[in-house]
Amino acid sequence: MEPATPLALPLDPAEVFEALQQLHMTVFSQSVSPCGKFLAAGNNYGQIAIFSLSAALSSEAKEESKKPMVTFHAHDGPVYSMVSTDRHLLSAGDGEVKGWLWAEILKKGCKELWRRQPPYRTSLEVPEINALLLIPKENSLILAGGDCQLHSMDLETGTFTRALRGHTDYIHCLALRERSPEVLSGGEDGAVRLWDLRTAKEVQTIEVYKHEECSRPHNGRWIGCLATDSDWMVCGGGPALTLWHLRSSTPTTVFPIRAPQKHVTFYQDLILSAGQGCYVNHWQLSGELKAQVPGSSPGLLSLSLNQQPAAPECKVLTAAGNSCRVDVFTNLGYRAFSLSF
Amino acid sequence: MRGMTDDEHLLINGDGTGDDRRINLLVKSFIKWCNSGSQYQHMLSTLSLCEFSMVYDMNLQEMENYEKIYKEIECSIAGAHEKIAECKKQILQAKRIWKNRQEYDAVAKVIQHHPDRHETLKELEALGKELAHLSHIKESVEAKLELRQKQFHVLLSTIHELQQTLENDEKLSEVEDTQETIMEADGK
Repeated sequence: MEPATPLALPLDPAEVFEALQQLHMTVFSQSVSPCGKFLAAGNNYGQIAIFSLSAALSSEAKEESKKPMVTFHAHDGPVYSMVSTDRHLLSAGDGEVKGWLWAEILKKGCKELWRRQPPYRTSLEVPEINALLLIPKENSLILAGGDCQLHSMDLETGTFTRALRGHTDYIHCLALRERSPEVLSGGEDGAVRLWDLRTAKEVQTIEVYKHEECSRPHNGRWIGCLATDSDWMVCGGGPALTLWHLRSSTPTTVFPIRAPQKHVTFYQDLILSAGQGCYVNHWQLSGELKAQVPGSSPGLLSLSLNQQPAAPECKVLTAAGNSCRVDVFTNLGYRAFSLSF
Repeated sequence: MRGMTDDEHLLINGDGTGDDRRINLLVKSFIKWCNSGSQYQHMLSTLSLCEFSMVYDMNLQEMENYEKIYKEIECSIAGAHEKIAECKKQILQAKRIWKNRQEYDAVAKVIQHHPDRHETLKELEALGKELAHLSHIKESVEAKLELRQKQFHVLLSTIHELQQTLENDEKLSEVEDTQETIMEADGK
């Protein structure tokens, strides 16, 4: 028998590798540049890609505008979280937080400005950093992740000032309550803890899974997403997505969605949430589902609203998750197009 | 006469200037051509001259008209932009109000679950009164119990003392008896 004829196109192993990489990519985090015209996205391979939103949204956008302007290798592990200050991009993932200058990145010079590691108790394993939060008034950064503590780092000096302990399992998400100012953290142990920054103490604890209206024991008790609007808080994950009134610590509305939500945010009079399932859900505070907009990834992990005042024409919602694509919603009602790694 | 305006020329002389004059010339040359057959080229050139001048005027007027319309449209576009900005602000305001209303509703729903404050206060008062009453009764019962206890104690101690005294008396009388028998035995 003759051997089977080989394929006409020789498969370049590098191309195959790239295609496989694209297939298995997960985008964990996004951040908008201070000028509002660029979007940074971090994936599970430790790469950060910078997309030009103004080019992709302009009327002469071509296929290449939907590809990254520059991609660089940032971390050895996945980039779980990114935030932007008015000049820097801060990214964190594998136990370290690194700072990059936006001006340098846009000129394609991808060298990190600094890197810091918070003081961990054990030096054996380096826990991952799941969430970053900027406190603009104090010019400090809060990191939280696998070691169950919230570390606060002063951005000017780079020193770690406080470590807030209280969670019994790793922390998934952080939110800032501007009026007090307090930091909310939600974690695997099912509790949302409120910390006062000035006294560095835990002010309030809400154990979400203990409340009957929202607990879903078959999903677990983990809190995957958190957002706050000073008097109100919305959190979800294992328990159902619920709106809480913080002063009285009572759950007021339970949003009727079965899939655990991984990212939630307040926007004007709506609450936007995304999670398992390819939809971005628009909720009204009364619990009604106003719209469910499909994205292109099978599951969404991060939402980002570009509300930078310097670029009102780039005011879009971008959603990313279990694929190599970042969906761009120009009008919240439908997906305009997708950027791709 | 020179130095006359077009209108005066028309009034006084009876023939207009410009287009009208050209049309008249055209008609005259047409008649000449019909009669003599030689003025063909002249007539054609006059004709084309007429046509072009009229078309030229017409184009100029149309241009002016379009300019005017264009400016009007620009103004209305600017006006519409402003109105849109106003409406957007109004929408934001309305959304804020809507959000506040919904927040209010949400808290109100939770509050409704809890019972009315007046009723709870009344119940509390009634319970308080009952509690006071019962504790009063308890106090009086305890006082009575103590009194009885004291009285019994007094009674029992008195009985005990009496017993003691009687026993002492008996012992004394026994001792006296034995002493007497001894003295009698000694005396004999």
